[in-house]
Amino acid sequence: MKKRLSDLAPDETGIIEAIDGPVHDLMCLGLRVGKTVKMVTKQPVKGPVVVLSGEVEIAMGIGTAQRVMVIVTPQEA
Amino acid sequence: MAANGEDVTTVLMIGNPNVGKSALFNRMTGANAVVSNYPGTTVDFTKGTLIEGNRTYVIIDVPGTYSLEPRDAAEEVAVRMLRHRPDATVMIVLDATRIERGLYLALEVMELGMPCILAVNMIDAAHEKQITVDTAELQRLLGVPVIPTTAISGEGVRSLAEMLRKARVADVMDISGRLKGDPPAAGGRACFGCGGCGGR
Repeated sequence: MKKRLSDLAPDETGIIEAIDGPVHDLMCLGLRVGKTVKMVTKQPVKGPVVVLSGEVEIAMGIGTAQRVMVIVTPQEA
Repeated sequence: MAANGEDVTTVLMIGNPNVGKSALFNRMTGANAVVSNYPGTTVDFTKGTLIEGNRTYVIIDVPGTYSLEPRDAAEEVAVRMLRHRPDATVMIVLDATRIERGLYLALEVMELGMPCILAVNMIDAAHEKQITVDTAELQRLLGVPVIPTTAISGEGVRSLAEMLRKARVADVMDISGRLKGDPPAAGGRACFGCGGCGGR
């Protein structure tokens, strides 16, 4: 299932499939196509999101997270 | 600073925020730059001197940056330092637990064509997390000296200081060739700076 990174639920994991728009800033933070990310926290009312990518927690604005498309990894039972 | 006529090399420490640049700087120069456990502590540069093997190095601790396209004032300082000192040697500091992110900046810096040396810092933290960094392979691929260090305990700091003289300009096209497994070009550099040969 495909969704925006901003739509991942906390603890949900996905693999980045595509990034719309400028990628440079996200690449610098260690996010690129093919990376696995896990949603850590999501602040309400268009607040920032924090995702875990490898060993790194990355915080970004909701607008940036909306530009990232991920394929959701099925949750282990 | 340096005695008259002595060879003085400027060394810029570049790396992501919170990789231990200031801790490494303090170790190498005996200075007292502020170190803390969160990113963005260094907002301006600090200078220190290191004398190693009859050479004097002026080491400059630069604020951390994620890229060479600055997004805040501290990053601007880092990028300005790089641009204004094209003759300096760059010591790229990586966090061994977050190698990938550091390498992105490292390659950006290498593209500038300045002599580089890589310090893979926090190697103790990586060991704790059972992360192994193949520094020899990294050195072969990048063509610049790669030294594992732990700034807080001082591990690897001496060899980093000794290897500063072996810093060399990396060719990004060569790196890409080596990653694809191309055979080394004829007449290419045979020595990547292991320090054992007394080198070129």
